[in-house]
Amino acid sequence: MRQVMEGSHAVSEAVRLARVQVVSAYPITPQTHIVEALSEFCAEGAMNARFICVESEHSAMAAVIGACTAGVRAFTATSSHGLALMHELLHWASAARLPIVMAEVNRALGPGWNIWMDQTDSLAQRDTGWIQLYCEDGQEVLDTTLQAFRLAENVHLPVMVVLDAFFLSHTHEPVNLPSQDEVDRFLPPFLPRITLDVENPYALNQMSPPNVYMEMRHNIQAAMEQVPGRFDLVDKEFSSIFGRSYGSVETVCCDDANTVLVVSGTAAGTCRHVISQLRLRGEKVGMLKIKMFRPFPADRVRSVLGNVEKVAVVDRNFSFGASGIFAQELRAALCALDQRPQIFGYIAGLGGRDVTTETFEEIYLRTRQSDRPESESIWVGLSSKEREP
Amino acid sequence: MMPFMTSKDLLAEPVPFFVSCSNTTTEANKTGSWRFLQPRYARKTAPCSAACPAGEDIARVEMLACKGRLEEAVQIILRENPFPSVCGRVCFHPCEGVCNRGKFDEPVSVRQIERFLGDKALESGKNHTPVAARSNGKRVAVLGGGPAGLSAGYFFVQLGFECELFEAAAEPGGLLRWGIPRYRLPEDVLREEIRRIERLGLVIHCRSPFSEEDLKELQKRWDALFLACGHGCGIRLGIPGEAYADDGLAFLSRVRSGSLLPMTGKAAVIGGGNTAVDVARSLRRFGLDPVIVYRRTRRDMPAFAHEVAMAVDEGVELMELTAPLSIIEEPGGLLLNLQKMRVSDRRFDGRSRVIPDGGRVETLRVQKVFTAIGAVPAHAWQVPPKDRNRILTLSHCTLVDGETPMVFGGDLNNIRKSVADAVASGKQAAMALDTLFHKGRAAIQDRLAPCRLGDGPALSMEIFTGGRRKENHPHVVSYEDLNPDYFEPSPRAAPGILAVEKRVEGFAEVESTLAAPAAALEAGRCFNCGTCNDCDNCRLFCPEMAVTVENLRQIDLQYCKGCGICVVECPRCAMVLQEETA
Repeated sequence: MRQVMEGSHAVSEAVRLARVQVVSAYPITPQTHIVEALSEFCAEGAMNARFICVESEHSAMAAVIGACTAGVRAFTATSSHGLALMHELLHWASAARLPIVMAEVNRALGPGWNIWMDQTDSLAQRDTGWIQLYCEDGQEVLDTTLQAFRLAENVHLPVMVVLDAFFLSHTHEPVNLPSQDEVDRFLPPFLPRITLDVENPYALNQMSPPNVYMEMRHNIQAAMEQVPGRFDLVDKEFSSIFGRSYGSVETVCCDDANTVLVVSGTAAGTCRHVISQLRLRGEKVGMLKIKMFRPFPADRVRSVLGNVEKVAVVDRNFSFGASGIFAQELRAALCALDQRPQIFGYIAGLGGRDVTTETFEEIYLRTRQSDRPESESIWVGLSSKEREP
Repeated sequence: MMPFMTSKDLLAEPVPFFVSCSNTTTEANKTGSWRFLQPRYARKTAPCSAACPAGEDIARVEMLACKGRLEEAVQIILRENPFPSVCGRVCFHPCEGVCNRGKFDEPVSVRQIERFLGDKALESGKNHTPVAARSNGKRVAVLGGGPAGLSAGYFFVQLGFECELFEAAAEPGGLLRWGIPRYRLPEDVLREEIRRIERLGLVIHCRSPFSEEDLKELQKRWDALFLACGHGCGIRLGIPGEAYADDGLAFLSRVRSGSLLPMTGKAAVIGGGNTAVDVARSLRRFGLDPVIVYRRTRRDMPAFAHEVAMAVDEGVELMELTAPLSIIEEPGGLLLNLQKMRVSDRRFDGRSRVIPDGGRVETLRVQKVFTAIGAVPAHAWQVPPKDRNRILTLSHCTLVDGETPMVFGGDLNNIRKSVADAVASGKQAAMALDTLFHKGRAAIQDRLAPCRLGDGPALSMEIFTGGRRKENHPHVVSYEDLNPDYFEPSPRAAPGILAVEKRVEGFAEVESTLAAPAAALEAGRCFNCGTCNDCDNCRLFCPEMAVTVENLRQIDLQYCKGCGICVVECPRCAMVLQEETA
């Protein structure tokens, strides 16, 4: 059924349809609408689930870890400082191999206090062992949430479904809402690999000495390496039921492109439009949308960008002392190639600043007109004078 | 090369999965070996107990009352105080003033719960106290049947003394019987509580007044004497025309004995204590228009504030900052000449100092004047001697050693004249004489010191006789010692109060006893400072599951690693964390 809904509620509806059994969350702008709707579903009986109110995101993650360890499907959602507070337990969730799904609304970290879109919060958690899937619009966020449960429970790793603050979380769009029957066909009940059982008590996640710890870490990576392949299969199954698929990366007009813009999140929507305009003007430009950031689909990226002249990565995030984080990943993925494109790293749209069609055109033209990048990171649209205190 | 797999096949293949999992138990891991701090269950002293002159174990009483274990609660009170129904009505409840709950929302209504439990005990008709232990062969006579004398008798018989009490009036009770009006303390309540003391073995002789000469005779016949004759004589005003004024206490006594002559019109009551208020409120009940004339301000009145408020509600007029100058007889009544006063400054305790306000004088025409400005002993021999060599001064009594030891107690001795302090006096006298006869005078101070609750003067008979309370930690629990995260605000129980119109019609009791559900609810508001109420937090929070609960709570030291979580999560400071001793 096609209906107009807010990006946040696309998440909530997916969680309801996924028959999640435990939701625990602490409200934070811009995540609040997601969990507000879920608490209402739980209260009204639209979901047969327990909503566990907690005093912090740390406890929210601890509660879903507990629930998932006890063998039930569990969900939480957060953003920005809330995600940062969860950090310790993000490691726990992945190393305990718990298929928790979390919606993470990309929001800037303070100070300066800022509630708007910025990817640094989720990207700062890239080494926690969570799968990260970035979404472009309301439909994708609903579909990805459903896929996330299927994927997580298949590889026994937690999944973060990432959506842009306000541009996606608070924007109303037409979204196809699948029926419960369809979702049930796609997503079987959660069958935990291992679970707490009072009839057969044992201890989980206890002391792991040096002779096993390294193997356990390698084992997580071994599972991670299977994620891109398995995600493709999940995506294919999803497509066979719902008629939509996304891929871990998506290419637009890349086949004959000499310049490719690399984007993620809602900026991909704007970029699509710019690509079609530039193509009309005869520019050989394409777009690579990266949906899966962890594990990083390096093979796919290499195969798309290996023969391209120039790559312009648009990062709505920054790693201080280094560069944009997507750019880092791309450089790492491409440096093994004998012949590599020139990589231009652009920083744009931090803290909720708009990334407009003009921004993309400027990025494209600067890339086109330069033989090589003037610096590792090019900050787009900075005002001429930085304010001194 | 990987064999071809359909999507379903590959998704059905398990991914590598390696987590630590053990189905052996952690029993082998004796985490107790890590410990250098050790938690212990340690009952501590609640501030209410330390403030209660009778030293009642309030935190334990409330805990039992809240659980519906009323018999036990009554027994615990009666170990320290023979008068729960009386004190539950007339005590000045210093316990509530220091209640830690007061810092959270409102203090627990300790007095109302005591009254409820006292009345329950009376309804049951049981003694609730073990009958006198084996006789210790000593005979003690008590002079004065007020709360101090009766309490002394109560504790004497329990300690094995043979004891008889001599009372000048027709009935025992002292001020409780003759000085407090029925609307605050009905006779049957008092009589029943005295009956319970008699059932334990105290012999009471009424209409047995004594003179100084009789005292010498008694000294020959008894091994020890306890004197608590009270303040039998009202203080004089020292103004012209005083002869026209009636003594307030004598009036209250006549009201209680029913020997009052009819009166009408307006009456002045001079004074600001409970007696003045009682006189005024009683007069109101006889249809008079009483005016309380007090030299300081209302907030300086020694009377209980809620009694003053009720008096005002009942139509008693209050003239503050007014002192009597003289009383003149006039046709049809009395003319009271009054000096208006003003506040000159305040004492360290906040009470006003007053001085005459220049030449401002007033007159008041009344039919009657009553004085209630305090009382003094009727005879010099009733007062403890000042001879330092022969006496041992304790907090609530004075021991005069000699061939026949004498102990002076009650209002004759106490700085604060209250029923609870009178009970304390009788209790301390019993402890002192018991020690004197068993271990000698020199041992008294050392024997009594461990019976103190906290740093106050209150003594515990339970500790003296070696009961469970002797294990208590003397630390007085402060609000900061508690973990108020576990408490929720709740309103304090309000007793039923008779409507003003009903009150002034007669002497029916103004306040009613809480109903059982309300009393249990109110007892449940108690934080039980320093007393375990089996809330189970220590067990639930223990990360090593080292807390076991069978008959009592215990910590399994094989596994307790001394983290102290139990102590922190104990809402009521009933545990301590101590350094491990080798």
